[in-house]
Amino acid sequence: MSASFIKESDFKGFVRGVMGALPVYGPVAKRSKYVFGRLESAEDLRLDYDVTILPPKKLFFPTAQDLVRFDGDSFQGCVQPEERVILGVHFYDVKALDMTDLLFTEKNEDCNYTAHRAAATIVASNIQTVSPRAFWGSVGKGVEPKGHDAFLTKVSGGYVYEARTSKGEALLKHGSFAKATDAQAAEAQKVNEDVLKKCPETLRHSSEDVAKKMRAAFGNEDLWKRCAQDCFSCGSCNTVCPTCYCFDVQDWWHVDQKAGARTRYWDACLTEDFAKVSLGAGASENFRESRGERLRHRLMRKAAYLNEKLGGPACVGCGRCSAACTADIADPVKIIDAVMAT
Amino acid sequence: MKATCTCAEKGTQKNIFLPREAKIVRVDQHTPTERQFTLRLADGQPFSFEPGQILEVGLFGYGEIPLGLASSPTRKNTFDIVVRTVGRVSTALNRLGEGQSLYIRGPLGRGFPLDNLRGHDVLVVAGGIGLCPTRSLIQYILDRRSEFKRFILFYGARQPDQLLFTADLESWRVSKDVEYHETVDKAAPGWKGNVGVVTKLFAKTRIDAGARVVICGPPIMFRFVIAELRKLGVSDANIYVDLERRMKCGVGKCGHCQINDKYVCTDGPVFSYDQVQSLQEAI
Repeated sequence: MSASFIKESDFKGFVRGVMGALPVYGPVAKRSKYVFGRLESAEDLRLDYDVTILPPKKLFFPTAQDLVRFDGDSFQGCVQPEERVILGVHFYDVKALDMTDLLFTEKNEDCNYTAHRAAATIVASNIQTVSPRAFWGSVGKGVEPKGHDAFLTKVSGGYVYEARTSKGEALLKHGSFAKATDAQAAEAQKVNEDVLKKCPETLRHSSEDVAKKMRAAFGNEDLWKRCAQDCFSCGSCNTVCPTCYCFDVQDWWHVDQKAGARTRYWDACLTEDFAKVSLGAGASENFRESRGERLRHRLMRKAAYLNEKLGGPACVGCGRCSAACTADIADPVKIIDAVMAT
Repeated sequence: MKATCTCAEKGTQKNIFLPREAKIVRVDQHTPTERQFTLRLADGQPFSFEPGQILEVGLFGYGEIPLGLASSPTRKNTFDIVVRTVGRVSTALNRLGEGQSLYIRGPLGRGFPLDNLRGHDVLVVAGGIGLCPTRSLIQYILDRRSEFKRFILFYGARQPDQLLFTADLESWRVSKDVEYHETVDKAAPGWKGNVGVVTKLFAKTRIDAGARVVICGPPIMFRFVIAELRKLGVSDANIYVDLERRMKCGVGKCGHCQINDKYVCTDGPVFSYDQVQSLQEAI
């Protein structure tokens, strides 16, 4: 599909046009950080954001999501997808959405995710500001972002809009777009290529080498113990991760004690009880009891276990875990360097 | 309780979290904390499954727990589960009586490899509540006895009053179709049987190197039983372990039951030991 161009002065009109047709979500400022939120006005959209606190995954796999609602007489599923536009998703988060798309679809498709995902139009946007812990320029280079419907790039005097799907093309009618010139299309390409070199952190090893070495280092207990020595088991690294999708399921009652819901909540494999089973009579067995075992499991999931399925590591280099970690030990670049040095 | 569908779900992918209602046909109290429920689907449909598969069993407002099917699909019309009172869900389930309903999802996972067991000696080693999922295989073999060669069953419990399925045990003790050996860790007055851990039963009979072996019990038991089997020359590929893990979804998503890159709920719960050996977190 060919590229279109919209002038800077017309861009807010485009956003307003889309907002008039559908609910629009995008990066908005929240104190000193950014979040994906529903746009109240076109001025809220902050395409100059560096990274959001939580990834856009939360729009399809919310932190708390009812799976089944019940009352005394009946129970029912809760899948009621709403057509939405997500505007301004960076390419690393698009890659992560591709991964969760596959993981929620394979084997037993989970319509609680896929129905919401199918109802969304995703407009990716170029990275204008680089976050302090990012390494998306060097991780999983062979994995192309492909789940988006259009890609928006800021160039001289406006934006280049490249529609990839009919859903992406359908949004063009909401703005004053012209066909992009070759020079504009070339500038957009250069902008997106150049930004890859601007990450503050760099992963110096290929995905294949990392996966191989990671598996070989599985039994190196000292290494994992050392890496996890200061871990608080808080699960912050899991919570902010765009490719983590583990969850807990809990039932609860309304105050009337007649109706209620079965709800899933994000869970975190770094927390102590994640793999613990009760055996009765107060006895229990924890299959990943130590912090080292739990940190190792996370790293194996990100750098080795899922590679074959996903075509690359289950890490997109957003740097959210590094920034969120209470003890600042979660930086994948540093952990992988430590593994590669063994 | 009636299942209703939201409009958006009609005609789309089946919602993997919607359970089916099952009616409790019969309740047998095995021990103060363990009860057997005999179930049938409330809609009257037959329930087909393989020995060794699991169910998510739940009650709305309490939650779901994974349980192994405790009867064989060769016993038509009904199916069994055993609930041990441990936490919130199992406590609520164990308050239910005949005629009441619970809600199931499944059958889930992969069961026992019947094709590799047929035509061979089969040894089942069950420890404690591990008898429940293996009972699906035990009944299957007894119902299709001619398809298997020698059938040996080892069962170990902590103490005599914790033996499950005592009516079954009575029949197995005198049956010619199974060589049944049992032991308790700690005897009680009146107990005349074996005392000691389940591995002591290996001295009671002969196990040929070509036997197929199925093990289910507490994690510690696996290690000792496998060590015995190694001494007897049983190949790792012919040893099957039935594993238990924490599970929330049962369909390969929630992550709780993962052992390295395997999901117990979809890749298991039955694994061959040579498959599990490369999984450092398994046993």
